[in-house]
Amino acid sequence: MAMKALDIYKHLPKTNCKKCGYPTCLAFAMKLAVGKADVEACPDLEAEARTLLGGVTRPPVRLVTIGTGERSVAVGEEFVLFRHEKTFYHPPGIVVQVSDAWPDDEVRSVVEMVEETVVHRVGQDLVLNGVAVKYESNLPERFAEVVTLAGGGNSLPLALIADDPGALEAALAVAGHYRPLIHAATEENHEALAALAKRYGCPLAVRAADPAELAALAGKCADAGVPDIVLDPAPSSLAGFVAIATDIRKAAIGRTEPALGYPLSIDAGAFGDADAAIAAGILKYAGIIVVPPLSPASVEAALTLRQNIYTDPQKPIQVTPGIYPINEPGRNAPVLLTVNFSLTYFTLLGYLEASRIPCYLFIADTEGLSVLTAVAGGKLTETLVADSIKEFGVGDLVDHRLLVIPGYAAPLSGKIEDATGWKVLVGPRDAADLPGYLETEWKT
Amino acid sequence: MESNDERLAIREVRLGATRAEGGTREVSYAIGGERDLPFSGKRPERLLVALEICDDPQFWPPVVRDYVGDLANDTAEWARAAERTYGADLVRLNFTSTKQRGFDAFGAIAATTEEVLAATARPLIVEGSNEPELDSEVFRRSGEAGEGERLLLGTAEADRYRSVAAAALAYGHAVIAQSPIDVNLAKQLNILLRETGVPQDRIVIDPYTGALGYGFEYTYSVMERIRLAALAGDADLAMPMISAPTDTLSIREVREAAPADREAMAVAWEFYTAYAAVVAGASIVCVRHPLTVARLKTALEG
Repeated sequence: MAMKALDIYKHLPKTNCKKCGYPTCLAFAMKLAVGKADVEACPDLEAEARTLLGGVTRPPVRLVTIGTGERSVAVGEEFVLFRHEKTFYHPPGIVVQVSDAWPDDEVRSVVEMVEETVVHRVGQDLVLNGVAVKYESNLPERFAEVVTLAGGGNSLPLALIADDPGALEAALAVAGHYRPLIHAATEENHEALAALAKRYGCPLAVRAADPAELAALAGKCADAGVPDIVLDPAPSSLAGFVAIATDIRKAAIGRTEPALGYPLSIDAGAFGDADAAIAAGILKYAGIIVVPPLSPASVEAALTLRQNIYTDPQKPIQVTPGIYPINEPGRNAPVLLTVNFSLTYFTLLGYLEASRIPCYLFIADTEGLSVLTAVAGGKLTETLVADSIKEFGVGDLVDHRLLVIPGYAAPLSGKIEDATGWKVLVGPRDAADLPGYLETEWKT
Repeated sequence: MESNDERLAIREVRLGATRAEGGTREVSYAIGGERDLPFSGKRPERLLVALEICDDPQFWPPVVRDYVGDLANDTAEWARAAERTYGADLVRLNFTSTKQRGFDAFGAIAATTEEVLAATARPLIVEGSNEPELDSEVFRRSGEAGEGERLLLGTAEADRYRSVAAAALAYGHAVIAQSPIDVNLAKQLNILLRETGVPQDRIVIDPYTGALGYGFEYTYSVMERIRLAALAGDADLAMPMISAPTDTLSIREVREAAPADREAMAVAWEFYTAYAAVVAGASIVCVRHPLTVARLKTALEG
């Protein structure tokens, strides 16, 4: 298991020389303890301490970068088995597979789709990450040609899927300096592929169906001078993938098998339902997901699931406080007070939009707390409501002075009336009941 | 986490009753029994996919109404198709008729329950009313009509669980216990049900499923935490889970999709949400679009 900062500190020189970039040895030890610093940054460490600390302070899953430039994708450097324990940091790269046996037009249209797809959600632009070129033509020069057609790695990160060293060599001559993922080394070809990965400084995937063989293969490639490795556990079923991926992540986090401390890859096209495989990969520890060309609906759902799972649970997505018009409200539309916890907002939005009732959603800044916790914790107060009404100019939007507050904020109703001069109506506790409530109770 | 200690297992809950078990179903299912993380260790007998139907389609997503056409106006035929045409393991019957203002057709509740039981040979999930003042009568009528069939009755919540618990106890059914995406509230409700006399092997936890993109990550993590707590020995959380992404078909992405794309979007959204719920530990996933059923069945076999 990981060492505590004070235990690490005992092995450091305690000179506070600052050469590592941190003000004190203790500060450096604290960074090392959480996997955020590299032990190599200390120039004065004795060899024995260097080996010991190197083993326990590196991130349990190595950070591996595929591609170069702004669209490069970095995966791995994860610390937990379940997102609620802390968070997941590096969303898996989704790379869309083409084949060198396809006509050029077909390849080109997939590459364009990957380049242009953007899904906008809650302030983020979600994208597909790259292209995987599969060697099926049996002609190394054709493989290289299609790699060039896919941008050569210059614009989008590439994965080169082939087991023939000759074909890979031809493709790397074109794309090698853009850090494509070489996929994949097996028991048969690993010496040749590791040599290629080392020569071009590229990440290398290794494939074996048994975790022990996978670890052995990864160890051999690392010894051959390839630091950036991706593990393909070649599962025979999706249930098998989830089970093996979980075992590998456990071994990495627990540091019981350092040779399994690398990101995983999954080939979603190898299963009966590619969408299920994509979901399984996102949920259970894949770093690279190779997918067949997907429908727009699948792309949107997959990218949304990835965004959801890689949201930091300690920092819920907050909605910007303010006034949100829904269903084109007029000057007699109800004003509904709520909090800026994203889940509350999304739930209300769903019911209100579906109800087609025009209204204003009035979102106060409760620092992301839900109604219940904001009321209990004193974050939702009459002062905040009064100040927010002024700040957002709520009075200028409507002709009435009626404010619907959440059911759980009922204890504040009198205070809010006194502080704002608005008449307060206590709405339901449950968002699902809000449309029905407005239909029967709202009159101006 | 594999262990031979019986206490660490998720309790088995039996749904449906064959003739030998005192009912009329062709099959009955045992859900639960896991002793490890989902898909690891001892695999459950099977993961179940339920198709949801209702007795008043005006309260049902348009994208489903468009697909099933006239079936929506014949609850029994819809139930038959759910099993025979769409391949669902179970039917979940929602009494949406109770949403009508001034609803008092309680006789129809019993009649519809009987018709649906006659139309399908699979175990049945019955979703009663959403109105506290209707609950006791709706649950009593449907519970009585399904006596001996070991229905899964829903939904018990912290502030309204007595009616559904009473019907389950009187007529031998299991109960869905729904809490709003919170481990402690899930546990609290299970304790309340236990104190009411509902045996723990007749409770299925519904942690509430937020739609993908609209809070699903909370549901996913709460499901994982419920399962971990159960595996660590918390008996009040050691029940199988059910997930129903019911909000999914009314989200913006589905409503605002171009007409030609709407169906694909609805199915993709339901599929991703339901499959993720299975990976988090759900034993039963309930969906509303018939096309999602077949896709989930294929995925869960693979």
